[in-house]
Amino acid sequence: MKICTFAAAYIGSYEVSLKIFEISAKRGIKEIDYIRSRIELGRDAFFKGNIGYEMVEALCNILVDYKKIMDSYKVDDYEVYAASVLRDAENAIFIMDQIRIRTGLSVTILSNSEHRFLSYKSIATREEFEKMIQKGAAFVDAGGSGMQMTIFSKGEVVTTQHLGLGTMKLRERLEKKSTNLKQYEAQIEELVDKELEVFKSLYMENVKIKYLIISGDYVTDMVRMIDKKQEEHTVETEKMLVFLKKFSNRSVEEIEEELNLPYESDALLIPYMMILKCMARGMGAERIWAPGANVIDGIAVDYAQKKQLLKINHDFDADVLSAAKMLSERYLSYWPHLEALEQMSTLIFDTMKKVHGLGKRERLLLQVAAILHDCGKYISFANAVHCSYDIIMESEIIGLSHIEREIVANTVLYKTFALPSYDVLAEKLDHESYLIVAKLSAILQVSNAMDRSHKQKFKNVKAAIKGKELVITIETEGDAVLEKALFDTKTAYFENIFSMKPVIKEKRVYS
Amino acid sequence: MEKEIDFTKPEYYENRELSWLKFEHRILNEARDKNIPLLERLKFISITSSNLDEFFMVRVASLKDMVHANYKKRDIAGMTALEQLEEINKKTKELVEQQYHTYNRSLVPLMQANHIRIVDSFEELSGEQGTFVDQYFMENVYPVLTPMAVDASRPFPLIRNKSLNIAALLKKKEDDIEFATVQVPSVLPRMVQIPGKNEEEKCFILLEQVIEKNIDKLFLNYEVLCAYPYRVMRNADLSFDEDEAADLLKEIQKQLKMRQWGEVIRLEVEHDIDKKLLNILKAELKVANQDVFKINGPIDLTFLMKMYGLEGCEHLRNKPYIPQRVPEITPGENIFETIKKGDILLRHPYQTFDPVVDFIRQAATDPQVLAIKQTLYRVSGNSPIIASLALAAENGKQVSVLVELKARFDEENNIVWAKKLEQAGCHVIYGLVGLKTHSKIALVVRKEEAGIRRYVHLGTGNYNDSTAKLYTDCGIFTCNEAIGEDATAVFNMLSGYSEPPSWNKLALAPIWLRSKFEKLIRREMKHAKAGRPAHIIAKMNSLCDEGIIKTLYEASAAGVKIELIVRGICSLKVGIPGVSENIQVRSIVGNFLEHSRIFYFLNDGEEELYMGSADWMPRNLDRRVEILFPVLDEKLQKKVKHILDVELSDTLKAHILQQDGSYEKVDKRGKVLISSQQTFCEEAIREAVLPEMEGTGRVFIPAEPIE
Repeated sequence: MKICTFAAAYIGSYEVSLKIFEISAKRGIKEIDYIRSRIELGRDAFFKGNIGYEMVEALCNILVDYKKIMDSYKVDDYEVYAASVLRDAENAIFIMDQIRIRTGLSVTILSNSEHRFLSYKSIATREEFEKMIQKGAAFVDAGGSGMQMTIFSKGEVVTTQHLGLGTMKLRERLEKKSTNLKQYEAQIEELVDKELEVFKSLYMENVKIKYLIISGDYVTDMVRMIDKKQEEHTVETEKMLVFLKKFSNRSVEEIEEELNLPYESDALLIPYMMILKCMARGMGAERIWAPGANVIDGIAVDYAQKKQLLKINHDFDADVLSAAKMLSERYLSYWPHLEALEQMSTLIFDTMKKVHGLGKRERLLLQVAAILHDCGKYISFANAVHCSYDIIMESEIIGLSHIEREIVANTVLYKTFALPSYDVLAEKLDHESYLIVAKLSAILQVSNAMDRSHKQKFKNVKAAIKGKELVITIETEGDAVLEKALFDTKTAYFENIFSMKPVIKEKRVYS
Repeated sequence: MEKEIDFTKPEYYENRELSWLKFEHRILNEARDKNIPLLERLKFISITSSNLDEFFMVRVASLKDMVHANYKKRDIAGMTALEQLEEINKKTKELVEQQYHTYNRSLVPLMQANHIRIVDSFEELSGEQGTFVDQYFMENVYPVLTPMAVDASRPFPLIRNKSLNIAALLKKKEDDIEFATVQVPSVLPRMVQIPGKNEEEKCFILLEQVIEKNIDKLFLNYEVLCAYPYRVMRNADLSFDEDEAADLLKEIQKQLKMRQWGEVIRLEVEHDIDKKLLNILKAELKVANQDVFKINGPIDLTFLMKMYGLEGCEHLRNKPYIPQRVPEITPGENIFETIKKGDILLRHPYQTFDPVVDFIRQAATDPQVLAIKQTLYRVSGNSPIIASLALAAENGKQVSVLVELKARFDEENNIVWAKKLEQAGCHVIYGLVGLKTHSKIALVVRKEEAGIRRYVHLGTGNYNDSTAKLYTDCGIFTCNEAIGEDATAVFNMLSGYSEPPSWNKLALAPIWLRSKFEKLIRREMKHAKAGRPAHIIAKMNSLCDEGIIKTLYEASAAGVKIELIVRGICSLKVGIPGVSENIQVRSIVGNFLEHSRIFYFLNDGEEELYMGSADWMPRNLDRRVEILFPVLDEKLQKKVKHILDVELSDTLKAHILQQDGSYEKVDKRGKVLISSQQTFCEEAIREAVLPEMEGTGRVFIPAEPIE
């Protein structure tokens, strides 16, 4: 049995953690060691804008030790990730350099969407998860800098939104402004409740959820205390609320004592418990599930998936597509056209495989671009394309990284506008992404031209490469003059990129 | 009514110091036992002597501190520090009296009958012996003596803690009487062998007598009026005893000036010391009357330990017991493969400590081993474990060692080998601030075909191959995954990383242990209240934690049967109506020092057994890192339960705590004579020769008393 020993480290806003995993096809992902060091980098990063040298020094010392631990396990590979805490620090580039020089470890900074996707991966691979999202669920990923709310209905992603309600940010914002504990708690409650109200009216109007899935170690402990059946990790919401009520207006020390928590005097405990309380009360879930997994487990799942070390059952691509569809519905896009476009563009993409050299992931991005290309019309007909670009860039699509979102948005943009030279886009896209945008937007443009009237006139479309031509064979009942005329004007860009000319061959059918 | 009982009433508790003194009496009892060979009895006398020294230096000193700090808080038995000191003084004097009574009346005559003589007064020497002694004095003793006289220009010298000295009164023709003192050199052996009256006789003289005989040679031109030995015990411990409450430490820190550094807390003198001489000593050393101990015999009997090893007297000692092979472990075979077959119980000193040493030794050179982590508390000098750890580090393994520097009286020793380990490349952790690491755990991480596997040794005793021959301890080898995970978490915690969100199988003090014990006791209480049988057996060294005792009282009142095997201090009282009628306490004092901690809970038939490093003392539950581990394997559970059963049926070495607080030996009439330690020795010998019975599992049948 081939076993891969993998180390995942995560630099969070109040904790740096390391897990050692063994990954094998037979036994899946097995946690071997879990080491956590408390260091509140977020205090510097979020409120001063950069991380001071004492903190950097402390961080490096921790990572030096972590490197030793990794070495002692003779790990085959490792990943060190950081999210908002380094994203928000202006001196991140120097910190990463220091870390590399002192420890030899290279740190990857995650965008919010990547970070959240990893957290999501850590729970989505659990068996219980599929059942829960069928019945409706909200996944709350509460962190130091913010929280991510992802809503599922009938097994599909409804939306994922980032709310600026991190435990550490709440503490720093409110603790000093409150005269006492009671006021402090009331302020957090008010703020969270208000945000939650808005969120629900915008995204959950017709959605009912049964499960509230919530990340964090403390909640796992609490669930275990409330319900002794440890395997399940779920508890009735009502019971949780009764349990939480006991702790209102109690000091951190008292709560820790009661919960039998380590004597660390964790000042983030109160905001965390208040968030938990608001979520339990406000989301209307019957049960709460505390899987006890976090982003670091997601890193392992992601790694295992990337390296094809094991088969992951959950279809993450389906999440991306359903999130995109939900988004397009939200902006009232004309669905038959989108469907036709998605089909057409993937058909061309698949036919051109050898020519464009792109893979599965890019095919998914093309689909997303097709689904979302029209959403800007909701805002402005005249300026639809730019609005689409903005909507895509401002909406989180679970499973897409920031750069992938950029690719999708630019594909939509340059389906209509002429693609400028690389230099112009260099700030947004790296070289590889630029090429992807070019290829995808060319395909999308040609595909779009074929359904210009949004009437889906073409049936049984087939495509094949013949010599230097991409031959698209269509069956049509009605008049396809508009499409054909347009098509001819849209092929230049395609030719330019693929050195191949698309041509339409019409087969008239009469019913 | 049950609810009306206040289980915290002081009269329900015994003061720990006074209980400890009772334990000393039990040891002394061994010295008085005529069934025990002579040299063994001398050894017990010596043990009481050195124990008493430690008791004074640590506990009495601490109480004196309290008095100086005007600390008024009462202990669980409702006594103030001053009251305790008075009572201790009284009881200690009784103890010392009995100690010397035993020595003078029983052991000295017995020694003579066996042709061993200790001359404690030089006047008894024959002419030939006298010449020998004088010559020995001039050649060996005289050069290292520093006599010090006291007069107007020479102040009273500093008398070193625990040192034996000779005080003398001198007179220079017609002048006033002068005082002088000389330390009996600690570098020379206390017992000097001198020619016997005949071939057969082994004769010794005590060093102070050698000096006394020749004292005039130290003070030429003076007439020596008299000379007597004396010994002082000082409050010289720079740190406060960890057993005291934190609020006391604060109190004392506030009043640091109040503390009398180096204050003499005990002065031992010969019973017939010259009155004038004694008065000078008392005045100069600022000793109160009650702190003067008049000794009827040689001062400081710890020297008798040397007598124990006397050559040619094998018949006066117990036949030495050789720790036996652990049947599951074949020496020379790969120990990890052996552990993989199933958990293994080790019982020291009945079984050899070698597998534990071997565990680390093999790990050091095993190519599959990635890391070794271990806690070390009190380690023998020249420990093979330390050598193996150093070798492992040199072999590129990750070696983390937690060294507890705070182990009492061992600090210096610990620092030396901690440095040695660091030089070899080990990661040495020096314990957690404010917490002594008392847990005994060793973890070996191995990268095997099937992935990482962790091998763990958990014990009740220190990783000390010397004491493992004297202390009765238990240990377990396991590669149970859940325990392995916990073991890793323990070391992460000790390295200063955050504690794990939860533990699988282990319970740790100071964070989880107290509540774990209380939960376990309360669970029995629940069973009892529901009319189900409920039973607790607990074996430990000391029991003086108020919270635990109170919970035990509640359990007893609820009908839980509680059997305690407590070697030393026991602040719990038995037989109080409505409080502790269901509690029995016994103390086993034998040839080996009872040291293991075992806890049994009937749990309505789902029996649970735990072992660990912690006593039921506040310091173990609140201020130390301790581990309580479950015995999971059914075969092992039986073996461990068997230990308890045999000890509960011990009729020879067990002392039963009575309602009046005294300890009585078991009434042997009509009972099978059982010495648990002897039984375990015999069992170990039997098992070691028996081939391992495969699959069947050995079942022990506890000896039943004849009805």
